[in-house]
Amino acid sequence: MEKLPLGLVIDLNQVVPYKTGSWRTLMPVNIMQVPPCTHACPAGNDIRGFLRVLAEKEDYEEAWHVLARTNPLPATCGRVCPHPCEAGCNRRDFDSSVAINCSERRVGDYGLEHNLEHKKLVSGRKEKIAVVGSGPAGLSCAFHLAKRGFKVKIFEAYGEPGGWMRYGIPPYRLPNYILKQEIDNILRLGIDLECNVKVGVNIPLDQLTREYNAVFLGVGAQKGLGIDVPGKDADNVYTGVDFLKQVNSGKWMEIGKDVVVIGGGNTAMDCARVSKRLGANVSVVYRRTRMEMPAITAEIDEAMEERIMFRYHTNPVKLVTDEGRVVGIFSIQMELKEPDASGRARPVPITGSEAFIPADTVIMATGQAVDYDGIDVQTVDNQWMYTNEHLMTSMEGVFAGGDAVAGLETVALAIGQGTQAASAIEDYIEGNVESNLAQPPVVYSRDLNTYYYNKQKQFNKEAVSIHTRLKNFREIYPSFDLKDIIEESKRCFSCGLCFHCGNCYMYCPDSAVKISPSTGGYEFDLDFCKGCGLCAKECPCHYIQLTLEK
Amino acid sequence: MEQSAEELNKIEKKDLFTSGHRACGGCGQALAARLVADASGENTIACVATGCLEVFSSPYPDPSWRIPFLHSLFENAAAVASGVEAAYKALNKGPVNIIAQGGDGSTADIGFQCMSGMFERGHNVLYVCYDNEAYMNTGVQRSSFTPLGARTSTTPMGNKTRKKNMPLLAADHGIPYVATATVDDFRDLQRKVKTALSIEGPKYIHILAPCPLGWGHHGELSVQICRLAKDTGIFPIYEIVDGKVTNVLKIPVKVPVEEYLKLQGRFKHLFKKGQPTPEVAEIQEIANQNIARFNL
Repeated sequence: MEKLPLGLVIDLNQVVPYKTGSWRTLMPVNIMQVPPCTHACPAGNDIRGFLRVLAEKEDYEEAWHVLARTNPLPATCGRVCPHPCEAGCNRRDFDSSVAINCSERRVGDYGLEHNLEHKKLVSGRKEKIAVVGSGPAGLSCAFHLAKRGFKVKIFEAYGEPGGWMRYGIPPYRLPNYILKQEIDNILRLGIDLECNVKVGVNIPLDQLTREYNAVFLGVGAQKGLGIDVPGKDADNVYTGVDFLKQVNSGKWMEIGKDVVVIGGGNTAMDCARVSKRLGANVSVVYRRTRMEMPAITAEIDEAMEERIMFRYHTNPVKLVTDEGRVVGIFSIQMELKEPDASGRARPVPITGSEAFIPADTVIMATGQAVDYDGIDVQTVDNQWMYTNEHLMTSMEGVFAGGDAVAGLETVALAIGQGTQAASAIEDYIEGNVESNLAQPPVVYSRDLNTYYYNKQKQFNKEAVSIHTRLKNFREIYPSFDLKDIIEESKRCFSCGLCFHCGNCYMYCPDSAVKISPSTGGYEFDLDFCKGCGLCAKECPCHYIQLTLEK
Repeated sequence: MEQSAEELNKIEKKDLFTSGHRACGGCGQALAARLVADASGENTIACVATGCLEVFSSPYPDPSWRIPFLHSLFENAAAVASGVEAAYKALNKGPVNIIAQGGDGSTADIGFQCMSGMFERGHNVLYVCYDNEAYMNTGVQRSSFTPLGARTSTTPMGNKTRKKNMPLLAADHGIPYVATATVDDFRDLQRKVKTALSIEGPKYIHILAPCPLGWGHHGELSVQICRLAKDTGIFPIYEIVDGKVTNVLKIPVKVPVEEYLKLQGRFKHLFKKGQPTPEVAEIQEIANQNIARFNL
């Protein structure tokens, strides 16, 4: 007789589990969201993407390719960008933001050191595009069009490509060899470059519109504006643009002992710091205070470190000349009253406060404008180019971007506009009606569960001593260590994207979170999920959210 | 059975207590039971007293357990586990992990003498108590683990007595290992289960397992409430090895008990128009005593 087992035996392989998913009213979903860094980046860089690649795989090559998807100039941006991404970083509410700018620079440098090449998406299209200007906007537009297979030709008015990055930004902020390597890398996508051709002067714009399917104007704002004071036509008075252009072209400038820079923008800071390196005593004269200065904060800090004197509330009334040369400026003190149209406090002179400031050279960095020589497009307020929402100017098939459209802005913004214009040009040529897809929502720190993150100090770049840096035009921040940047990338919260912490997997009381066999990520077993929301609550990065049951 | 520190700190997820059980959404006990089962591994017999855990996990024909499961009466899980251990010894079989599991009622009130006897006789059994601070299965009646001020169906105006300190009572039986844990730190919980199973003799682990229904909070807060119970000092985390208190979890930033109480419906009556009543100060005093006693 068969011996029966004692008690009740259930064959566990035959068990059909009770599906508790039917209890649910809310269900968890994985929603990839836009992190605030990318939202704040004018170039739309996938910052979280490249930091996570660094943190998880420690793979600089892949990180470079992630960055180069949107930004063809990472090593440049990593040096000159005022990094609005770091201001947006959610980690700021926890300890301090991730050093995104430094990480970008290191990744960009790695790409140059290892000669990484951009990948072409499509090749062999017949359409030809002319890009006017090889600044960040022009390069970015040409880069994205060339990747999509268009035949692109860049026309550059000066001897070397790079626009204001080459002729405006001094080499101690952005060394020429870095810029040159990055541009060469872009040109390797099959882009033609013709230098010393100024469109509108050497070659008419009409000819380009006839010969090419589309034209992109990335001409920048390269006309320096001075202020209208007596004596402004003297020999030793320069505009900031001309001064920087000449110094950065390698010309030795005799500027004497005392230099006065008028203005408070980035060009003014660059002029002041360049003059300091040329051996002069420099003072910056500005009508308002540091609060209202439009220059990047770090630039002002570094200028102050370099013992550049700042005279606030000071307005030049007259340049005192002697035999056609300026010997000093007469200035008057100002006081600040209610804000003007630009939102900054309106300076009003105080009578009887005139003073004399001696000067061997005066640099007026008080504004820049677009050089419209031979380019006849509609403008806004007689200043910047008018474009519609697809960045097309008043001329059919002529697109524009960068400083010429946006006003004096950052390299990153110019890159972003170049990217947008490239899409717009592709749509224009293919006759697509561009559809503006809804952007996913942005994650802010209130959405995060920061309990699972550890406090960690921010990576701090170290400048060479003031004593050394004023002697030459070498870069003031030496290269960063690869390992330090990997450590820094691990500080990224990965806002809005799973980083495999495993909280949902471990905390689900119903074991309804499974590891997907195909992707290796976590997925919900909706047959058993009761919709309690524990996973969403304990997800550090807000990747899991609850929605109403369908 | 010596295990390396790496082995002990490893997180286990084997789904030996699997989906399909009938616990409420966000149940702390279901989560704790899975963490314990996964930590102890396949070579385990679970002896579970009557209570929520047994009711929601073992209906025929689809139990959630993937390890041998023995259901006993409300009071005698420890006695049954002792019997299983004795049987294994008599048959000269093993070694096997035997885990007696019960809720707070079956541990502290009804089953206390069985558990006390098991400790005293020195059976090689791990007793795990899932502490949800009332008789949740039968409709939230007060148990001797119900904390001061908590509303249950039998103490509608709030409980007047303090909570029984079971871990110290268990330790005073002279057993080799006693530990407390919560479900929010699964790494710590699983390490304690594995440590306990590596020790010969009776062991006791006390796990705070929030009950969304009885405590009156949303299921998604189960983990957060555990974290607050630790950070306020209401539920100290420690181990007692051979009578000595060790591995006390220090509180990084001390949190006032209001934060813990306000999340739970059972303490709602302690706040009149947002203002705390004198009981809150008394609960804070309990937390302060814990902090002083265990040097949290």
